[in-house]
Amino acid sequence: MLSRLVLVSASALKSSGPLGAGLVQASRSLQTSSQSLAPLPPLPEKGGKVRHGIFPEELFQLLYPKTGVTGPYMLGTGLIVYMLSKEIYVINHETFAAASILAVMVYGVKKFGPKVAAFADKINEDKEAKAQEVKDAAIESLTQAIEDEKKEQWRAEGRYMLFDAKRNNVAMQLEINYRERLHMVTHEVKRRLDYQIALQNLQRRLEQEHMVNWVEKSVISSITPQQEKESIAKCITDLKALAKVTQAKAAL
Amino acid sequence: MMLNYFDQFASPIFLGVPLIALALTLPWLLFPTPSTRWLSNRLTSTQGMFISTFTQQLLLPVNKGGHKWALILISLMIFLVSLNMLGLMPYTFTPTTQLSMNLGLATPLWLATVIMGLHNQPTHALSHLLPEGTPTFLIPILIIIETISLIIRPLALGVRLTANLTAGHLLIQLIATAALVLLPLMPTVAFFTMILLFFLTLLEIAVAMIQAYVFVLLLSLYLQENI
Repeated sequence: MLSRLVLVSASALKSSGPLGAGLVQASRSLQTSSQSLAPLPPLPEKGGKVRHGIFPEELFQLLYPKTGVTGPYMLGTGLIVYMLSKEIYVINHETFAAASILAVMVYGVKKFGPKVAAFADKINEDKEAKAQEVKDAAIESLTQAIEDEKKEQWRAEGRYMLFDAKRNNVAMQLEINYRERLHMVTHEVKRRLDYQIALQNLQRRLEQEHMVNWVEKSVISSITPQQEKESIAKCITDLKALAKVTQAKAAL
Repeated sequence: MMLNYFDQFASPIFLGVPLIALALTLPWLLFPTPSTRWLSNRLTSTQGMFISTFTQQLLLPVNKGGHKWALILISLMIFLVSLNMLGLMPYTFTPTTQLSMNLGLATPLWLATVIMGLHNQPTHALSHLLPEGTPTFLIPILIIIETISLIIRPLALGVRLTANLTAGHLLIQLIATAALVLLPLMPTVAFFTMILLFFLTLLEIAVAMIQAYVFVLLLSLYLQENI
């Protein structure tokens, strides 16, 4: 804290004219800490080690070479006994109040200390986790984008197959169209030829019928009435003869 | 000279130096400055979280114009909590047991809210003098009563804090004296008195924090009414 004060005052002094520069140079011997501000050293993670909550471990280390392990405890006991016996510290009602508040504080620290420490750690961890989450989400989305890009590239490699398939499709359609038209042409031609055949057949039939009719007519017209009577008489005599034969056969 | 129990509340002057100045300023050293680092140590981050959560909670009902008061209210809260809690240590002096100091904190802040309310929205501020739905014949009496209650607010704020802390300290002293006196005579009774003292100390810790909180909360309420 004091080094910061010195730095601030140093910059203020430097800007205050010729006398200021002299004062800065003169006070430079008092500035003992290194003045570089970057990179900042990391904060210590835990506070200094203490024994029994208030006595720093360094005190015990300091006294160890001369007085051993029990040194600081003897020092404490001796101090207390000295103050009590010389009545530098008089036991009065405040002592009891002090004992009470001490008991409350010790109880509080023992019971809630770890919880509070975990809570304080959690605050920092949550902050860190949030930032980490943002970073992870960004990395995740970028990785996903890379994979999607690779997939698209792989898909794009198959474009020749696609072109071939499309080309085949078009060729097939052209072929189909051509064949349809060919079929239509043959069909039409066949229809016309069939018509001609039917026409010829009809012509021949009509001619035949006409000829038959003409022959019949001429034959019928050529039969004179005389011939007709003769043929009928002959038919009757033939029938009679036949009748006689059959009657004879039947009688037999 | 005879020591009476009220001497603990006399403002200590040592060799002409009023030590109340030290008592008022030194608790500031207990609160570390938040550093420029992103992640700080346990104490700083707990303190920061406590202050920000408390500010948010306190200023929730106050509209945006009242957010200007955030800094003074929170610093007042931390000031009072630290003074009260440090006063529970033996042989310490609690500045908040001095009525002069509490009135000195309460009156200007209360007066500021009243003046702001009457200046910016006088009708709204005066309308607080008459609660809704009072029968007509009670109105004159009620206005007088509400005005008296308004004037009494700073007195109430100051005296509440003073009385609570003074009474608490006196009780601790008395019961501790009882335990001390009973110890050679009836040790068992002294033991029970010590247990009583233990619970009283717990109560006093709670009272110390609650009284500071109530002080600041009431000020925020007066602010909310008038802003």
